[in-house]
Amino acid sequence: MSRSPVGRADQPAAGDAGSSARCEAVVDNESLVGQLLTEGRYAWLQRPQVAGDLAAHQKRRAFELLQAAMSLVPAGDVLVQPWLLEALEDHSHWAFAARRLTMDAVYLDRYPVTNREFHRFVTAGGYGQKSLWHPTIWERVTEFVDRSRVPGPRGWKEGTFSNETAQHPVTGVNWFEADAYARWIGKRLPTDAEWVKAAAWPVVIDGDELIQRRFPWGDILDYRRANLWSSGPGHVVPVTDYPEGASVGGVHQLIGNVWEWTSGGLAAAASNARVRLNRPLKSIRGGAFDTYFDSQVGCQLQSGDCPFARRGNIGFRCALSACDVASHLSGEDRRG
Amino acid sequence: MIQWWRPSSGQRGRKDTWQVTCHVCEAINRVDVEFCHQCRAPLALSYAAERNAAAPHLLAVAGPPGAGKTVYLGMLTDQLARHRGPLQILVRGAYSVTLQQACMSALARRRFPETTCGEPESWNWVHCEVSGAVRGRALEVVMPDISGESLRCEIERPHTYRVIRAFLSRCHAAMILVDTDALERGDESQGVWAVKFVNYLVELDPKRKATWAQRPTAVVFTKSDCNEVCQEDPEKYASERVPGFYRVCRERLHNCAFFAVTVAAASVEVESQGEIIPIALRVEPHGVGEPFAWITQRLAKHAR
Repeated sequence: MSRSPVGRADQPAAGDAGSSARCEAVVDNESLVGQLLTEGRYAWLQRPQVAGDLAAHQKRRAFELLQAAMSLVPAGDVLVQPWLLEALEDHSHWAFAARRLTMDAVYLDRYPVTNREFHRFVTAGGYGQKSLWHPTIWERVTEFVDRSRVPGPRGWKEGTFSNETAQHPVTGVNWFEADAYARWIGKRLPTDAEWVKAAAWPVVIDGDELIQRRFPWGDILDYRRANLWSSGPGHVVPVTDYPEGASVGGVHQLIGNVWEWTSGGLAAAASNARVRLNRPLKSIRGGAFDTYFDSQVGCQLQSGDCPFARRGNIGFRCALSACDVASHLSGEDRRG
Repeated sequence: MIQWWRPSSGQRGRKDTWQVTCHVCEAINRVDVEFCHQCRAPLALSYAAERNAAAPHLLAVAGPPGAGKTVYLGMLTDQLARHRGPLQILVRGAYSVTLQQACMSALARRRFPETTCGEPESWNWVHCEVSGAVRGRALEVVMPDISGESLRCEIERPHTYRVIRAFLSRCHAAMILVDTDALERGDESQGVWAVKFVNYLVELDPKRKATWAQRPTAVVFTKSDCNEVCQEDPEKYASERVPGFYRVCRERLHNCAFFAVTVAAASVEVESQGEIIPIALRVEPHGVGEPFAWITQRLAKHAR
């Protein structure tokens, strides 16, 4: 039986080159492909260098799973507002301007990663696989434990979650845990621009002007569409709640319930302002169930936290570059 | 018709409808002034107290400079006024809304409110009716936003600020705010300040019937999101992180409890052209109402 790259220390990170030999071994193994599909790790099978060696039914199944779980955010331009804008609007000597960025197409998870999904990563030994973690923090991974000192999110016990929270977004995970999970499942964390584009869904008018939504559902904050302090029950709810709050592309809970880690950092946005931080911050977006002010939620709003913070109101969702999806490259997803 | 203050029996000083007794220090004032000539407390409180059958309960919110008194008071009043949970407040008088308005408007823009000025005339006083503390019984509560710097001066040199001394002498309960973030950064002065404050309280007026030892005192660890132990078990945190202060509380305050509070989660400082501006990255209040609920429940039961 060929050696599986899954759950091993030599597993390449998402986007790593030079794994074709190992991937060939994977596709020869029907049971291993089945295991990847069962674990929701269909993204590995979508990679162009792997998909060519899959049987037709395997390829079809992987593509069905991808379509069900992820939404395609088309390529195009997006305006990303500086995070300091509203805080320092009375400091006119600081230059702020929204950045117009051009993005490639990307797939984004329709829902935040749930406790059940993250549990697969924990049981697969994700906390013990060195290759999934940033080399600089590997020594600290042993600190990422739950209430019973077992590897797992901060709020769990004995390496698992309570039954009633299976469909809740996983929280109590820091940026590195989110990043390691994304690598394990064959994806990555979205960039800020990708997240904003999926939520604000820019439309080009008059040749070059961009119109973006303030919220995924439109320009008015509708309390029925998001779990926030003003409207929600005061705690995290299942990822399938608030379906009316989905974006144009069918991405749910971008606003409210839990903040979401993105791959980026919180950096100075004004050319002549220097952000003085006593520790680096990673970007989070979307707002959470305990976000107090309506002015602090929206497609453009960005906040940040220490990459080691394991808060009960920060979760994440994953992204996958369209160029890493074989069926996208072949045009299959557009036909489908 | 102008309905000025009507003197009630047993009140001190000359009884004249054109005079008003300060609710904080009991000094007699002319009706055409805004602040008490002796302690500088706003006389609007006295008019409001006179209109209500029951005298308001005075609640001190104390802490060293930067502990988060203004932010805590602003968030507390805003949150309870927005009808979340069983405990609710009805703010009395326009002057009581000023603090809430200033604090919320700053936090909504990710900024912090201005540091409270040392001049007592500029302090904001919150006067509100609290319902839900005890079923079927409303409670009048007055809470001033005392400047941390003035409080520090008064503790170091008693009688510097008459209003502080007068207010704390007559207070029915207190919240002592301790900055968890500063503690975690190694600022031991937080614990020292708190010990001084407790000693100041208990030595204020030993002849009073209800000494500070019996009055409800809530120790509130602000900015507690930076420490898990503090959030989950603030008393354990106090005993481990500020053991001297904890011992003083346990020995000298017999009606004391510990709480952890967060208003702004994560903050950064922005520097430009020599100016440093603290930014609240997001506002996520946790535990804000708990110490207030604990105190008002005790006050309401006592007032029965």
